[in-house]
Amino acid sequence: MADLKDGKTTGHQWDEDEGFPLQEYNNPLPRWWLYTFYATIIWAVIYWILYPAWPMVDGFTKGMWNWSMYKELQQDLDDVAAKQKPFNDRLGKMSLKEIASDNALLQFAVSGGKAMFGDYCAPCHGGGGVGVKAGGFPTLADDDWLFGGDLETIQETISNGRNGQMPAHLKSAGGAFSDAQVDDLTQYVLSLSGKSKDAVAVARGDTLFHGEAACNSCHGDKGDGSLKGTLAGGPLPPVGAPNLTDAIWLYGGDLQTVRESIAKGRVGQMPAWGTGTTNRKLTPLQIKQLTLYVHSLGGGK
Amino acid sequence: MGQQPIQQHLYDYEIVKKFSAVSVIYAIVGFLVGVILALQLAFPDLNMNVPYITFGRLRPLHTSAVIFAFGGSVLFATSYYVVQRTCKVRLFSDFLSGFTFWGWNLVVVLVVITYPLGITQGKEYAEPIWPIDLLITVVWVAYFINFVGTLAKRKVEHIYVANWFYLAFILAVAMLHIVNNLAVPVSLTDSYPVFAGVQDAMVQWWYGHNAVGFFLTAAFLGLMYYFVPKQAERPVYSYRLSVVHFWALSFLYIWAGPHHLHYTALPDWASTLGATFSIMLLLPSWGGMINGIMTMSGAWHKLRTDPILRFFIVSLSFYGMSTFEGPMMSIKTVNALSHYTDWTIGHVHSGTLGWVSMVSFGALYHLVPRLWGVSIYSVRLINFHFWLSTVGVVIYIVAMWISGIMQGLMWRQYDSFGNLSYSFAETVAAMHPYYVFRALGGAVFLVGALVMAYNLVMTVRQAAPAGQRVAA
Repeated sequence: MADLKDGKTTGHQWDEDEGFPLQEYNNPLPRWWLYTFYATIIWAVIYWILYPAWPMVDGFTKGMWNWSMYKELQQDLDDVAAKQKPFNDRLGKMSLKEIASDNALLQFAVSGGKAMFGDYCAPCHGGGGVGVKAGGFPTLADDDWLFGGDLETIQETISNGRNGQMPAHLKSAGGAFSDAQVDDLTQYVLSLSGKSKDAVAVARGDTLFHGEAACNSCHGDKGDGSLKGTLAGGPLPPVGAPNLTDAIWLYGGDLQTVRESIAKGRVGQMPAWGTGTTNRKLTPLQIKQLTLYVHSLGGGK
Repeated sequence: MGQQPIQQHLYDYEIVKKFSAVSVIYAIVGFLVGVILALQLAFPDLNMNVPYITFGRLRPLHTSAVIFAFGGSVLFATSYYVVQRTCKVRLFSDFLSGFTFWGWNLVVVLVVITYPLGITQGKEYAEPIWPIDLLITVVWVAYFINFVGTLAKRKVEHIYVANWFYLAFILAVAMLHIVNNLAVPVSLTDSYPVFAGVQDAMVQWWYGHNAVGFFLTAAFLGLMYYFVPKQAERPVYSYRLSVVHFWALSFLYIWAGPHHLHYTALPDWASTLGATFSIMLLLPSWGGMINGIMTMSGAWHKLRTDPILRFFIVSLSFYGMSTFEGPMMSIKTVNALSHYTDWTIGHVHSGTLGWVSMVSFGALYHLVPRLWGVSIYSVRLINFHFWLSTVGVVIYIVAMWISGIMQGLMWRQYDSFGNLSYSFAETVAAMHPYYVFRALGGAVFLVGALVMAYNLVMTVRQAAPAGQRVAA
């Protein structure tokens, strides 16, 4: 700054006994500083004239533009609603299969379903439905299903929820079997996906599986799960018992985890999002969109 | 430096020494807790399921430790030093000086005990429960009396500008603290605020913003007005500018609080006033920066050799940057993007690490050798600290800018059908790498503070053998 008045201070002085004494020049306010300051004041006054600004005895100054944040919000919501209405109208009337074969509508449904999935489903099933093993939350992005992966079954699962019950087998956990028997069962289950080396134990486990423990009554005679397995040639009840032969595991396929599942049992709970009066969280329209999204994740049948 | 000033007996340096010493300890504790929190955000398992060190309990400990324990101690130390030297009298009352020291430290101890136990009143930056609030009030009134009493008996005609800022800070903080903590106690640890709903929120942010305004801005400007001209050995650039920006700052700051509550239940008009007064605050804030930087003009060559001046110039630059950023973020449409994101955290830390901490470090390096009558142990270590601090802050705020703006953009991203493109969890996952960088920046800054502590301890130890002083 060229306007330094060389050597000319206000004449006041402080703290002069030690070090450099404190003094003050009296340079004028920098012009750019002053004019910018005025500009901000003018900007503020214009803002006050245009927008709600000053409280009055009765209400407040509304501003020339009559703006309010609630109006702005409502406008945004209305815009989105108007854009979505034609889609939603058709979505409500059409069946899942019809929607799935209408490309534009399917895209719309998947878009809405994805947003909802992020809020409601991803905390357990993971982003994109990749599953979370530690909690036994199934992967939705593969074609391995517990209850079924067609559109109607997925819709049913989301609407009414599911209960997966694997009973405990070890005596100390409330079951009926000894440690050794649970070990044998574990070896047999592992052998179904080719992971056991103890043929003797596998043989004992096989007998238990199809006999005393009656695992086959849910998991099927071949252990390939309630969905595609059979019991004495007939269908199995739809209890969501996993396929034990495909090396896809809900809780984990290492020896310890499998033994834990057999010994202490497992409880899997999928909440109901569409039914009941207290638990009703999503509208049928929303569930339709979610269904189509989950179906689109890669494993839909 | 080195000389034993004749006023040693006149001025109360013991109290300044005590506050300076604890300020260094509190800086390290506060920064350390900050680094732990930054790591917890990046790696949540680091709370190890111990309730006392979960984020919700440690976070207020961090903010209180750095603002009130570290910042507060620096302000007590420097204000007591500055007011004595610029008034040419001893502090008004030795008893009150000691009382403020032990009282303030008792507050810190109580805070360190109660926060991890989850005993707070849940108001940001005002977490202490009512008995601690009362203690703070008593200590603060003692501070006020001691400071004003010293001014009153001054042997110099004019009151130096640094003291106006310190006094404004003491007065404003008293008012803010009392009004924001008005509450009806129901037990030793619990109370109900007298304000409710949006009024309570408004009072809270009136307090919260002016804690920034008067504690972290006005008071540290007072510090700057003494230490920068003293260290640069140049007269203050403009007395006139100091008067104008002092009054403009004091008048305008107090209105800016509502910008913390844009797009909430707060009425539109209050929101508008908060935003417009924040914009008008920009130039008054910059007045301090201009006066500080222009004071150094004519002494630029000293920056090559004096790392203390480097601390000052960089702190003033960060001050200018964050006081520009703040008004910009207070504009409603910008705030709609920035609010609730890490951008705010980055903004706050460019102010607190870049401005408050660095100007404090400079002041401590100026102060400690003079208080103990020795030379600084190592100028090279000051320089090393300077670079650690600067690099640490830059890593920190750049990480938070990227993460915050990304977070804000992801939150508001809609697809062509008007549905949100990202879930909240996806935005959290996207921020992870920046959280790691933030922790790194904070850790570098912490290492700098440790270097300072070592340097200052070694400096003071040079004086110890002389045995002229009684240990605190």
